[in-house]
Amino acid sequence: MIRVQPKLTSPFQAGSPPTRAPRLIALGGGKGGVGKTFVTTNVAVTLARMGHRVVAMDADLDGANLHTCLGVANPEVSLADFVAGRVNEPAKLLIQTRESNLQLIAGTHSNLHQPQPDKTRRVELLRGLRRLDADYVLIDLGAGSQPAALDYFLVADEGLLVMRPEPTSVENAYSFLRAAFYRRLRLAARGHGVRELVEEATDQRNEKGIRTPHDLMREIEVISPVEGRRLMHTMRAFRPRVVVNEARTTADIKLGFAVVSVCEKFFGFKADYLGYVNYQNEARESVSAREPLCDYKADSDAARYLSRIAAKLAGVPLSRKGEP
Amino acid sequence: MLGLNELDYYEVLEVPRDASLEEIDRAYQILHEAYATESLALYSVFSEGDAELMRDRVEEAHRVLSDFELRREYDASSPKATGGVPVAGDPRVGGNDGWAEVSPLGSSPTLGDQMEEPEDGNWNGDLLRRARIHAGVELEQIAEITKVGIRTLRLLEDDAYEDLPATVYVRGFVTAYVRTIGIESTRAVASYIQRLEESGLDEGRGRFLGRR
Repeated sequence: MIRVQPKLTSPFQAGSPPTRAPRLIALGGGKGGVGKTFVTTNVAVTLARMGHRVVAMDADLDGANLHTCLGVANPEVSLADFVAGRVNEPAKLLIQTRESNLQLIAGTHSNLHQPQPDKTRRVELLRGLRRLDADYVLIDLGAGSQPAALDYFLVADEGLLVMRPEPTSVENAYSFLRAAFYRRLRLAARGHGVRELVEEATDQRNEKGIRTPHDLMREIEVISPVEGRRLMHTMRAFRPRVVVNEARTTADIKLGFAVVSVCEKFFGFKADYLGYVNYQNEARESVSAREPLCDYKADSDAARYLSRIAAKLAGVPLSRKGEP
Repeated sequence: MLGLNELDYYEVLEVPRDASLEEIDRAYQILHEAYATESLALYSVFSEGDAELMRDRVEEAHRVLSDFELRREYDASSPKATGGVPVAGDPRVGGNDGWAEVSPLGSSPTLGDQMEEPEDGNWNGDLLRRARIHAGVELEQIAEITKVGIRTLRLLEDDAYEDLPATVYVRGFVTAYVRTIGIESTRAVASYIQRLEESGLDEGRGRFLGRR
């Protein structure tokens, strides 16, 4: 278990300027119901108890429920107020949770017509998040591969891909990665022909037969070796971290290794296996109880694995046994 | 970037060029399962043809790299050979393209590193089973390595004390079991046997077997 070692600085001290920008950690995965919110909740609480100042943001404006998992029943402000222009500074969206080091940016009360912020607003939001006086900002992306989710995932310092050991989840996770990779590449691509090529490859049934990011990078190298090398360098930063949730068997645990290999061999980019969380009834019960698992059943295996994921993200060295 | 056919053996197995035999075997085990028919990780991306190609390449790479002589020959002939069979003090760790690049997040979960000893040191069958699963070991593998029958191993995991043979045998079985899954054995065995003895079922069982 993580030993709680509160930092001496008080959390979110008013008036004290942030010493450094918070690390952004985005949790996506394409498919709904794989446990993104569950993982976000527990990693956020664990990081907070390690003494870090944490903000958990619900970017899932279509299906917000991070607030519920963190025990905030009726958030008074939410990201939707920022999207609608009622609030212009993300710091003003913060809601204190029961956890002293943890604040929430809720995703409730969204505008049904246009739930997600447009591009300009997204940039403003991300700038605002970087200005928050916090150590970590966790962003729960929700399901799907819409541009907003992809942008948060790409801009974040760590992009976590949460999946469950089932074909539907694996399939959506790959679609999400593919979409994110192409979006990043499209933003980075310069030069005549290269951008067009990336655009073309985005359509999976393109005429050039480019099926994977791997194929695309080769094509780029053919038409412009210099640009190919530059993009290859840029895309090296694309390094998703895989989390397998609800692992029941050895094969489920090994799925993470296999997915990392497929990313390398099929897509042509590197991924890491950050960790897995075993299947446990208590995990589901904790969600029903609207409590983080690390409170509901702190000594459960799943809570331990979640705390390890948090420790890895915080850079706490793990012992041979995986103990932080 | 390279197509599957152009990857060298180290790239196929995703190991550094100075990988130890143990690392090579471990990588092989993972990839052997990752690219197996029906592997979940391939779903929606790898065609059966590509998966088959990968399987062949993984087998071939493992065959060569796990054989000292073949590996040396391969390293000598390989155009990318910058590392090769590990030599003490060789600074070229990782070799090609940052394979051994250290992740800022620390190590990936490795099979077997995630199970911990319970704080009260209380090892029962359920805990053995969980430790085994987390170590990535199937019951059949333990049976094969230890030569303890699979039925007996199941009884151990089920805490079916009344059906187990005399304590002296159980001690041996549990020792073999925990060693196979890589757990420090002394305390786990002592704890399991203590529970067995405290259950009160061991005495009668011992006498019964003693009579036979």
